[in-house]
Amino acid sequence: MEDFLTLLLAGVSVGAVYGLIAIGLNLTFWTTRTMNFGQGSVMMLCAMLTANLIARGWMQGLAILAALAVIVVLMVFTEMYTVRPALKIEGSMGWAVSTLGVGIILQGCAALWFGSQAVAFPDVIFSAVDNVVIFGVHVSLQYIAVVVLALALVVVFELLVRGTVWGRAMRAVAMDQDFAAVIGIPVRAIVLGSYIASGLLAGISGILVAQIGGTVDPAFGFELVIFGFVAAVLGGMGSTPGALAGGIVAGVLQQMVGGYISSAAQHGMAFALLILILVVRPQGLFGQREINKV
Amino acid sequence: MIAPRTVLTRLLTHPAFILAAIAALFFGCSWLSGGTVQILTFLMLNILLAQSMNLLTGIAGQISLGHAGFYGMGAYASGILMKTAGLPFVVSIPLAAAIGALSGYLVSFPAGRVREFYLAMMTLAFGLIFREVVREWDDLTGGAVGLSNVPSTTLKNLSVFGVTLDAIDYFRIVVIVTAIVMWLVHNFIQSRHGRAFYAIHASEVAAGCLGIPRAGTKRQAYTIGAGMAGLAGGLYAHMIGYLGPESFDLARSIEVLVTTVVGGLGSMAGQILSAIVFTFLPEKLQVFAQYQFIVYGAILAFSLILLPRGLAGLLLLPPRFIKPASLRRAGTAGVAIRPVDSDRNAALVVEGVTMRFGGLTAVDDVSLELHPGRITALIGPNGSGKSTLVNVVSGIYQPTAGAIRFFGESITGLPDHRIAGKGLLRTFQDPRLVPRFTVRENLLLGAHRRYRTSGLAAALSLPSAVREEATFLASVDAVTRMAGIADVADRPLESLPYGYRRLVEVGRALLAEPRAVLLDEPAAGLSEAEMALLARMIRAMKDAGLMVLLIEHHMDFVAELVDDVVVLDSGRVIYHGDIEGMRKSPAVIEAYLGTSETEAAHA
Repeated sequence: MEDFLTLLLAGVSVGAVYGLIAIGLNLTFWTTRTMNFGQGSVMMLCAMLTANLIARGWMQGLAILAALAVIVVLMVFTEMYTVRPALKIEGSMGWAVSTLGVGIILQGCAALWFGSQAVAFPDVIFSAVDNVVIFGVHVSLQYIAVVVLALALVVVFELLVRGTVWGRAMRAVAMDQDFAAVIGIPVRAIVLGSYIASGLLAGISGILVAQIGGTVDPAFGFELVIFGFVAAVLGGMGSTPGALAGGIVAGVLQQMVGGYISSAAQHGMAFALLILILVVRPQGLFGQREINKV
Repeated sequence: MIAPRTVLTRLLTHPAFILAAIAALFFGCSWLSGGTVQILTFLMLNILLAQSMNLLTGIAGQISLGHAGFYGMGAYASGILMKTAGLPFVVSIPLAAAIGALSGYLVSFPAGRVREFYLAMMTLAFGLIFREVVREWDDLTGGAVGLSNVPSTTLKNLSVFGVTLDAIDYFRIVVIVTAIVMWLVHNFIQSRHGRAFYAIHASEVAAGCLGIPRAGTKRQAYTIGAGMAGLAGGLYAHMIGYLGPESFDLARSIEVLVTTVVGGLGSMAGQILSAIVFTFLPEKLQVFAQYQFIVYGAILAFSLILLPRGLAGLLLLPPRFIKPASLRRAGTAGVAIRPVDSDRNAALVVEGVTMRFGGLTAVDDVSLELHPGRITALIGPNGSGKSTLVNVVSGIYQPTAGAIRFFGESITGLPDHRIAGKGLLRTFQDPRLVPRFTVRENLLLGAHRRYRTSGLAAALSLPSAVREEATFLASVDAVTRMAGIADVADRPLESLPYGYRRLVEVGRALLAEPRAVLLDEPAAGLSEAEMALLARMIRAMKDAGLMVLLIEHHMDFVAELVDDVVVLDSGRVIYHGDIEGMRKSPAVIEAYLGTSETEAAHA
């Protein structure tokens, strides 16, 4: 029972982060119907930079801010030089390949600068041994902190999207770019902003995952993106509550499979789940089937 | 003055040059060092892999981020079959290709259901699953440690019919296999099968409406592409003697994708150039090994943007999709439209068709009939449901209610390619052709459903396949003359003005030898002269006994041609009769001009 609860909480915790990753993917999907295939490298780079700066004696908060600042610059570059020009190419081949390329460059650079070995990630929020007792079960504070933080981010994000002028402008861009431009919404800025916000969510997710796992290495992001994509697809592409729910479902399943079947099967499980959900219900658990307009 | 691209293309694609190159590799290798022979063997495998990726991603448009999975499937299959099961090389290699093909066939079922970036993610997941399975299935694959002692030339324990092969023998086998596979694939691409791949790539809906089944075509592309990758994998296994999961991971898939993209998606010759670059460059740049990944990333990030057609686009003429042999044999005796035999049942009957999207009723209880040799106009204001009705009849949408019968047979809810297969063809409001195809290639797509020769006959370039293609090419000629586009027949469609595209699309429907044609605003955007050509084509259809449905806003154009008129408004039929009656019908006048009340409401 204790095992089960521990696994469950671990699953919810990591799943909430998958939800965050998925929301990041959704953001650019709304504005441009594109997604950063290199998002995993963004997560990795943010966590790597943070770990590295802290190791050099930077203050933790400052290290995180610096890493996020680098991510902002990176996302601006990605949008301007690899996504926007690639939109001219028919279909999604252009941007899928070009953003994947940026991801690979980053992974290569990280291996070059920091080495390809896993780096220990410092205890930013709580140490892995801090725990509280709930219903007689020892629960890691780190897990709880990650869940709370992820949920808080989702709430703030929803409030921003629903309550602010920028959020409404973004939804207008999502509905119809040309129309949004006609009524004076700065579409370019919104699209760029969606990429920056998407990168920030990915960066924070990277730090959170590294915090839970304890280490980070250059290849750490690729599978995480798939988990994020699983969450987004499970919840229905574009839906924020769906992304969170999908992430938690994926996270709990992953932990359960890892705990009760084999730790090796948990990766395979995610990939198989992705294929299954795309086949059986491509609109996701909460999404509506898109009508293909001919 | 001939452009350098033309010269280079003619040289590289000249049979004598290709044979000379193969002979030079085959005989010349005995003078080369062992290291060079090994790199050249790798080159051949990379060419095979790039061709396989090109067929699947470049031609059929199905992006693959898990190609190393197919490659690894073949490698492990042949390695295990030969080492553990003791099968001979001549059996294990074809089996490697077959198992690769089988994996592609199976992957095509889930993959065929998704498109674009969903497909990219799905194939990525496939590649990762393959790696996980190889890593965990210790007993069979050797797990993370790998499978060693696979019979190979490196270990000098690979023998065929009692003869032990050395690296040079092996290279010769690989050269011959690569050459044969490329010849087959080249023939295949220049046949209706390859053109169908490209049609699916350009527009699945348009392809379906020409009778090209999307699921079946994709399945074919995955099976053949994965079979080629499996073959390359099998050949790899017996060259190295050791198989480890890291040889088939994401990095390998990305390497293949980089090669294909740089070579130029769609171009076979480009793949060879690119495979040469990516086989020799890393060897020369050993010192920069740690930069290799970064360089690949940079190439992926910018090559499609800076050089969308790759090396092939830079150095060579665009590839063509009709065999020159068939073109030479095409006579001038083709007929544009053959008269249709008509029988008692000859009619398209639409009965009470309703189409709802959520709460919106786009087509509401519509009934109409088309008869041979009659032109029926379907008119109505924008948004009245005309195109939706055509989409329902042609099988793109499943009607919410109602029945459609064609020649007495129910076609309600059949998939689009089955409906097209029965001779019910359509055109689109926005012409949906293959932009990179020439006019002739686009027209030939229309004849797809009439071909009888198999993909194998096409790949082997059997006389029957060449003859069949030549027959249809003669019909294509006749249609280009009738449509007034004969002088641009060999121009790529994307270089032609809009009016030509419309005429090509109508002509393409004719090549399908239709019994009924649904034309969705064919005259929109045409000049007076082009409209006269279109009218001539439509009259010829009528004279040949076709049923014609004409959606059109251009009233003068309609009035000259039609026999019957059906007017739709808000999804309902508000008038059915001749054109004189329509002009006087109060319901039609109200729909178009509005009564004073509705005018006030809209103001």
